[in-house]
Amino acid sequence: MKLDVRTKLVIAAILSTLAIIYQNAVVLGVVLIITIVALALLKVSLQSFFDFRKLIYLYLVLIVIQSLFIRGGEPLITIGELHLLTTESIIYGIAIILRFLILIGSGLILLSCNLSEMLLAMDRMHIPYEIVFMIQIGIRFIPVLINELSNIFDTIQLRGVDLRKVYKRKVIRVYISIFTPLIYSIWQKAEQLSILLELRGFRRYPTRTYYRTISMGVIDYIIIGLSLSLAVIFVVVISML
Amino acid sequence: MIKPMVNINLNNVSYTYSGRLEPAVENVTLSLDSGEITAITGLNGSGKSTLARLILGLLKPQEGQVCLDNRPVNSYTLAEVGEKIGYVLQNPNQMLFNTTVYNEVAFGLRWKGMKGEELKARCNQYLELFHLWPLRNKLPFNLSEGQKQMVAISAVLALEPSCLILDEPTKSIDTLRKKILIRVLRDIGCLGTGIIVISHDRSFVDALGGREINMVKGKITAYETRR
Repeated sequence: MKLDVRTKLVIAAILSTLAIIYQNAVVLGVVLIITIVALALLKVSLQSFFDFRKLIYLYLVLIVIQSLFIRGGEPLITIGELHLLTTESIIYGIAIILRFLILIGSGLILLSCNLSEMLLAMDRMHIPYEIVFMIQIGIRFIPVLINELSNIFDTIQLRGVDLRKVYKRKVIRVYISIFTPLIYSIWQKAEQLSILLELRGFRRYPTRTYYRTISMGVIDYIIIGLSLSLAVIFVVVISML
Repeated sequence: MIKPMVNINLNNVSYTYSGRLEPAVENVTLSLDSGEITAITGLNGSGKSTLARLILGLLKPQEGQVCLDNRPVNSYTLAEVGEKIGYVLQNPNQMLFNTTVYNEVAFGLRWKGMKGEELKARCNQYLELFHLWPLRNKLPFNLSEGQKQMVAISAVLALEPSCLILDEPTKSIDTLRKKILIRVLRDIGCLGTGIIVISHDRSFVDALGGREINMVKGKITAYETRR
């Protein structure tokens, strides 16, 4: 079943909205299950979703950070006056992790879409073309900039800077050295791109045509209707509990 | 000055970029010594730059081993590799970190702890070498691509590494600076610095002399020694 990009955008928007509006770990757990089911139905590889188990230390840090700000619950680990871990902080920490996973799941739904089709869908949704184009350029240049940053890191080390042994007072100096060529490169690319766009007639005419076309089928309307209805029912049921 | 010897050994090295089916470098076995000038030639995408990145330990081979002084290159930190091998990238913009040309040349030397008159003399020597002295107070990013390339080369040469890898060094430089570069490379080669040049520039490779290695689709297809 091949869905239109707009249908996927609606599903991702619903899931991420639910993840943001609820703070209860049980509710977020249910939303996460729905997200996994949606990913499976949309045939998005669950492998990359489960790869986030590698971030287990980040999750533990999140739980500990929660403990520093949340006072309630039974203290489980204390250092002097400081509650390092409480029962309530664990629940809040789990809620944040669940929210994080739901947002990743929504992102994976969007990643399963073809980029050109997604931009076309945004255009069809009356998002100004300038904004759509900026998003396209941003996505296009992310790998280029990552590659450049990696090269800069490598060359700065090959010029004798051992990043692991840099003294604290010199760290800022090193990072200024690393980001100076990157910022210059971004600025240079932006300038060159704007010239090239002008030369190639960017926005010379108010409307433009597209090589690709997208169209919503009956199944798309059914799924969008069903998703919105289920989301409303979910919100109503949760508010009644 | 007599340079400490550096020996680079590649033993059946293969590397395939993720998402690609064809290996970028396939079963390459090669030995490079100090004082030797080696030009690696080949068409675009033949694996020349990948080979350089493997030598420097920037890429880890899926098969085979790259050794620097009989130790796997991955057992060194990049800064330690940099002590032995100087590397000039194709794109000089990724090698310029400072606000003046002088500071660019002095950058690595300062990190090595050089200062005072010694630092000044070394910087002046390499700035003069490529006619960069009049540009010493200029912002490197405002220079032409060829001038940037020369600044990047000077900055690496000033560190006086035992081995030097230059990736397309003549890409944007003028004839005069190309002649200077050839002379300087031959001179430092005579002093014991190993030089590996990746280039498409036939006249440059011919003028440099030494050994030529031709690569086709990731494999070494020919060795040739010139005088």
